[in-house]
Amino acid sequence: MILASEECDTAKEIICAPSNVVELFEYKHAVFSIGPLDFTRTVILIFLAMILVVGALYFAFRKPKIVPGKFGVVMESLVSFVREDVAKGTIGPDGSKYAPYLLAMFLFILVGNLFELTPFINFPLTSRMAIPLMLSVFTYLIFVGVGFSKNGMSYLWGIIWPKSVPVGLRWLVGLIEFVSYFLLRPITLAVRLFANLVAGHLMLTLLLGSGWLFFASVGDIGLRALIGLPWFAFGLLIFVFEFVVAVLQAYIFTLLSAVYIQTSVHPEH
Amino acid sequence: MEEIKGAIALIGYGLAAVGPGIGIGIVVGNAIQAMARQPEAATVARTTMFLGIAFTEALALIGFVLFFIA
Repeated sequence: MILASEECDTAKEIICAPSNVVELFEYKHAVFSIGPLDFTRTVILIFLAMILVVGALYFAFRKPKIVPGKFGVVMESLVSFVREDVAKGTIGPDGSKYAPYLLAMFLFILVGNLFELTPFINFPLTSRMAIPLMLSVFTYLIFVGVGFSKNGMSYLWGIIWPKSVPVGLRWLVGLIEFVSYFLLRPITLAVRLFANLVAGHLMLTLLLGSGWLFFASVGDIGLRALIGLPWFAFGLLIFVFEFVVAVLQAYIFTLLSAVYIQTSVHPEH
Repeated sequence: MEEIKGAIALIGYGLAAVGPGIGIGIVVGNAIQAMARQPEAATVARTTMFLGIAFTEALALIGFVLFFIA
């Protein structure tokens, strides 16, 4: 909401939308630079998320105790949730090998998503396509690599020449499966996270921002500023909803990564 | 008749949201039914429900992204 109004001179014009909606997600000017590297707000948020995740894990598990404190209990339940439910529950007994990767992914996306709702940050890290795309490329490399190293070339032949399908249809099913495995999976994995957070950020900006602008211009338009009240209330409702979405999307990204790895480990299922 | 304004991409997004809307309804409805019939299998049903929602929702979200890049 601050983002929408920061460039806006409410004294002159009541409604000032950005000329292009993309401007809500771009921070062109660098906060500071080290050599040729520009540190924009997004880059700083990436490092902040990284420090938060690493710091939380470090402080929770620095001195393992029999009876952990409150913070330790929360972190332990998160770790055991990813390890037991997501990794072992989806991939199987050898899933604990992939638990560190899934945990890092889950916590980074969770923190990045929750930046959307953090006051004074109000920017979901994962609403820049580069970040979910990079994360989904990691998952892609892992599940393709695991598939080839565990099953050799039969992994590829199992996809493009499926034995369980009648011979005449194998080329068609194989083509669909090939496109779905190697093209659609990484794209939809990234787009799902990206689009959810973009939609959430836009809705929050529109509702809270316009509600706030109506309140701010109460001197000019008088009692008509009360129009902003239902908008602001609806925005607060969406705020709670977005919290659910942020947690759920981090979970779904991790779960789908685990499912994709599982289909590479046991390709016959 | 007044001039019709707006982007055709908006209509496209509306159309793209219809199918996944129905699909998510079916997925969640059947998952609730499964959980009500077999409460002891609720964990499995819930995980599978989220998976189904994620796969179905992708279509609507691709439509949403296409609306912006169209």
